[in-house]
Amino acid sequence: MKFLKKPEARALIALAFVLIIGFTFNADGAFFKWTTHRDMLRYISVFAILGCGMTLVIITAGIDLSVGSLVGLTAVLFSLFSIQYGWSPWLVIPIVLLAGTACGLISGTLISKWEMQPFIATLAMMVFARGAAKWISGGQKVSTAVLQNDGSYKYVNVPEIYNFISAKVLHNNIAIVTIIFIICAGVAYILLSKLRWGRYMFAIGGNEEAARLSGVPVVMTKLIAYGLCGLFAAVAGICQAAQEQQGDPEAGMSYELTAIAIVVIGGTSLAGGRGGIGLTIIGALTIGYLEKILSINAVGEAYRLMLTGVIIAAAVLFQKTRKK
Amino acid sequence: MKTKLFLLIAASLIILACGKKESKITTAQKVKPTVKQKIIGMSQCNLGEPWRVQMNEDIKLAAAKHPELKVIYKDAQNDSLKQVAQIEEFISAGVDAIIVSPKEAAPLTPVIKTAFEKGIPVVVLDRRVNGDKYTCFIGADNKKIGKAAGEWIVKKLGGNGNIVELKGLMTSTPGQDRHSGFRAGIKGSNLKIIFEADMKWLEPQARKEMESALARFKNIDLVYAHNDPGAHGAYLAAKAAGREKEMIFVGIDGLPQEGRMYVKQGILAASFEYPTGGKEAVDTVVDIFGGKKPEKEITLKSHVFTKDNVDKGGKWL
Amino acid sequence: MTENILLKMMNIGKSFASVNVLSNVNFELKSGEVHILAGENGAGKSTLIKILCGVYNEYKGEIFVQNKLCKFNSVHDAARTGITVIHQELSLINELSVVDNLFLGREISGKTGWLKRSVQESEAKKLLARLGLEIDVNKYVEEFPMSVKQMIEIAKALAIDAKIIIFDEPTSALNEPDVVKLFEIIQNLKKQGCGIVYITHKMKEIYNIGDRITVLRDGNYIGTDSKDNLLRNKLVNWMVGREMTQQFPERIPKLGKTKFQVDNCSIDDPAGGPFKVVKDISFKVREGEILGIAGLQGSGNSELFNGLFGTYGKNISAKMIIDDIEYKIGTPAQSINRGLTLLTNDRKLTGLVLNMSIADNVTLPSLKSFSKNGFIKRNEELNAAKICSERLRIKSHSVLQETQTLSGGNQQKVALGKWWETNPKILLLDEPTKGVDVGAKHEIYELMNEWTNEGMAILLITSEMPELLAMSDRIIVMHLGQVTAEFTREEATQEKILNAAMGG
Repeated sequence: MKFLKKPEARALIALAFVLIIGFTFNADGAFFKWTTHRDMLRYISVFAILGCGMTLVIITAGIDLSVGSLVGLTAVLFSLFSIQYGWSPWLVIPIVLLAGTACGLISGTLISKWEMQPFIATLAMMVFARGAAKWISGGQKVSTAVLQNDGSYKYVNVPEIYNFISAKVLHNNIAIVTIIFIICAGVAYILLSKLRWGRYMFAIGGNEEAARLSGVPVVMTKLIAYGLCGLFAAVAGICQAAQEQQGDPEAGMSYELTAIAIVVIGGTSLAGGRGGIGLTIIGALTIGYLEKILSINAVGEAYRLMLTGVIIAAAVLFQKTRKK
Repeated sequence: MKTKLFLLIAASLIILACGKKESKITTAQKVKPTVKQKIIGMSQCNLGEPWRVQMNEDIKLAAAKHPELKVIYKDAQNDSLKQVAQIEEFISAGVDAIIVSPKEAAPLTPVIKTAFEKGIPVVVLDRRVNGDKYTCFIGADNKKIGKAAGEWIVKKLGGNGNIVELKGLMTSTPGQDRHSGFRAGIKGSNLKIIFEADMKWLEPQARKEMESALARFKNIDLVYAHNDPGAHGAYLAAKAAGREKEMIFVGIDGLPQEGRMYVKQGILAASFEYPTGGKEAVDTVVDIFGGKKPEKEITLKSHVFTKDNVDKGGKWL
Repeated sequence: MTENILLKMMNIGKSFASVNVLSNVNFELKSGEVHILAGENGAGKSTLIKILCGVYNEYKGEIFVQNKLCKFNSVHDAARTGITVIHQELSLINELSVVDNLFLGREISGKTGWLKRSVQESEAKKLLARLGLEIDVNKYVEEFPMSVKQMIEIAKALAIDAKIIIFDEPTSALNEPDVVKLFEIIQNLKKQGCGIVYITHKMKEIYNIGDRITVLRDGNYIGTDSKDNLLRNKLVNWMVGREMTQQFPERIPKLGKTKFQVDNCSIDDPAGGPFKVVKDISFKVREGEILGIAGLQGSGNSELFNGLFGTYGKNISAKMIIDDIEYKIGTPAQSINRGLTLLTNDRKLTGLVLNMSIADNVTLPSLKSFSKNGFIKRNEELNAAKICSERLRIKSHSVLQETQTLSGGNQQKVALGKWWETNPKILLLDEPTKGVDVGAKHEIYELMNEWTNEGMAILLITSEMPELLAMSDRIIVMHLGQVTAEFTREEATQEKILNAAMGG
């Protein structure tokens, strides 16, 4: 049973359990088609990208509630600049990524420099960013319908970058957003396991005071964690806008909860100091498959919510027993 | 500590300044109305939804045709009590008419009654209040629209076909009405609902559910979504699967920058308008100012927008 | 005479995880007396008190209160029998008013739960009047100075009709005039027939307020006598008079030039209290020297270490010179860069990241030297960790083992190892052998000798007197934040040090 002691193994068992449900309730074989899996991967990618940033923050024993709102804000910015102002994507993408990172850094500053609780600081950012998204967009979806002064609409074409991001490659077998997620996961993985800052994140999450007294640059490390979380949220926001072909100020509503669920189901501890990107990937697959299975079987909304709640609790309980 | 305090104060000042602007205008208008000018107070329950933003937009456009009208807009941000307070403000500021799109019936009934009894004409938009102490109610009927959509679909498909229904939030009245109306509309035909799912009015959700439907069913003829973004999400899913040509998509709401645009682009076969009533509300108020007594209840007619008629402003149902 | 014996504790014993911390202790308290409980840090005083007031309810032996056998299951239980403790850190709730504090948990109310505020207020005033205190009882407790808070705490004890009142170092946060006032109140309580157990590290107070003295040492009962019989020398002797049975490695210091100099170091109370915890301390340490900093609880020696290292930030004024170059106190990271390192006295709380591996902990402060462009050179890191682990003889099956699975001694070696890895000039050791088994202790002593021979300067705090005497080349003694004595290795004896540490 030594195998079971590894958190990855536990997370995989939870995933396997969900897959077994899928094989059993395969919706007349729909579950066995690759397109089903491809679409699941596409759908979960945005959440999983958020999960990558969330993993960093949670490993430092923090939390970031603002990522959902940041998706909305960056989606609106991306659409506004690229569709309505018609700027080049080479200009727009860096600006939007910068905006997301800046929001993350603001939360990070509140938390590390001014010692606000992560929950409160990012809650404030969550509310603020949603407000900013609505203010910038005027409460309307920023789409290819451009409002003219006389109240009528001019319809423009969606920029090429949108089609590029929402496309699929490898003979239509994998979505670009999934590849973007894999890149994000790779970046987070390298940070956590190969870079000094990643080690510092684990140290801070494990014992912040001991880390500080060991000379770990606590403020800088937290800034990096929250800044990257904001950056990943901006990446997710761009993906979201590209897939919706518009910037919805309401986009990403309550996505932060799914992102947290993905991280926690994987087995990263909310108490900090333990976890990894591998776990988050498994967590994302677990949640993704769960939603997909419920969806292809056309399970009613009420049952879905109840089932999802039960499975989240069960998976986390299962993770917990490993300590004994 | 000092920098913290400074930033805090600076931030609150900025926010205050932003908030102040609105009320400053109102006081200015209160103080010196020109002799001929008539002031209308408009209280919107929530500007978070594009449809309600459109309602305000429609009012603005209609009012622009009457230079003597001045409309003061208030957003209650989904808070009934806030909306009550706003109407109280209108009453004490002595506006000439009130247009209100209430959040809920019960909390707003008394204050609307007060305004009505003081002799201020009150036009209630979209959602009802209890009793009859208001001047006029203007609204559309989701059941009727759903039924019209159903009948249109029966005709379009010739009474045969497989249909996917992507429902709005089934705990909300519009969701329930657009569902039951639709079912009534297709009654007696051979249309089959092969897949139905709750997409909570959200486009990404609709796309996900549609992907599942596509994975399960080889033959889908039509997707009926309870709102246009839902229909658009379904279209994106079908397009991603390379199957968007096999089926047609129908949505509801018909907003210019959503449904009508999708129809124009050939994404949706039809979008059924859920009218905001903004124009009709202004027209009614103008009638009242002109001494006419309006009908107690005006049920708005809807347009259906299809590729051939969208540029001509749709066709009345 | 038997009727005025309030409390009798007989053959009390207590062990934690098979380590005896208290064995066969006897203690007796008469009404109207102040009974001093004396002993060094770790002698077992607080354990005995915790048994008495119901915090620990598993122990050996028997407790009689007014000749009745008692067994307390909780603090509440003990309080009902009339036993109460006035702690160093007061247990008042700052955000409540004086009245609310006095009647917390036993509010006077009607049948419906409606508070009878006026009754409470007049009762509160009566209680405080007994202590000669006239204050607005509706004010919040946080508005009052420490001395008044202590009075309120005492009033709380009176309110429950406590017969046995235990004072645990009550004067540590008081000014001289307030101490006089407190002693008056204690005299008053004596007259009212209360029995007082008084714990202090201050020699002056022992003879000022005490009637009888009981001495504990290393968890054992040494004896009880009246203060007139138990003269100062004898008292100190009782407290430290252990035989030096422990073996220490031989220490032959090789002293060089001055390595570390501290002038006029003062540190504000990091907990925000009004007094400085370290007042105007200066010292020098030479290359290869171990300087012992002796002191009992509240002496400020641990705060001195933390202040110098930068734990409290800039809340400290001092001039420091490391290797002839002045160093302004900064963050711990800056101190580490300058070769000034601190082994904290609580490895679990502040020393180690327990859920990380040995290797990750050992290289944490020096991670920069194991990385290039931010990338950790894992092989080099693991090699260094292995070398460190061998050098410090850390017993583990691999350097990838989580530190929390190690024994206390090995954990401590990991904490030492992480500093060794930074190649420090000065090592501040705060209780380096706390909770460490005998074998590991010996190994730590040997490491200290090796490292000083290589030129490191070590400052040592330890509450184990034999360790201090055997390992230090020189010892300075602190009492209430000030230096009260300095001894060379040859001059130092347990008695002299304890005497100075108690302010004598």
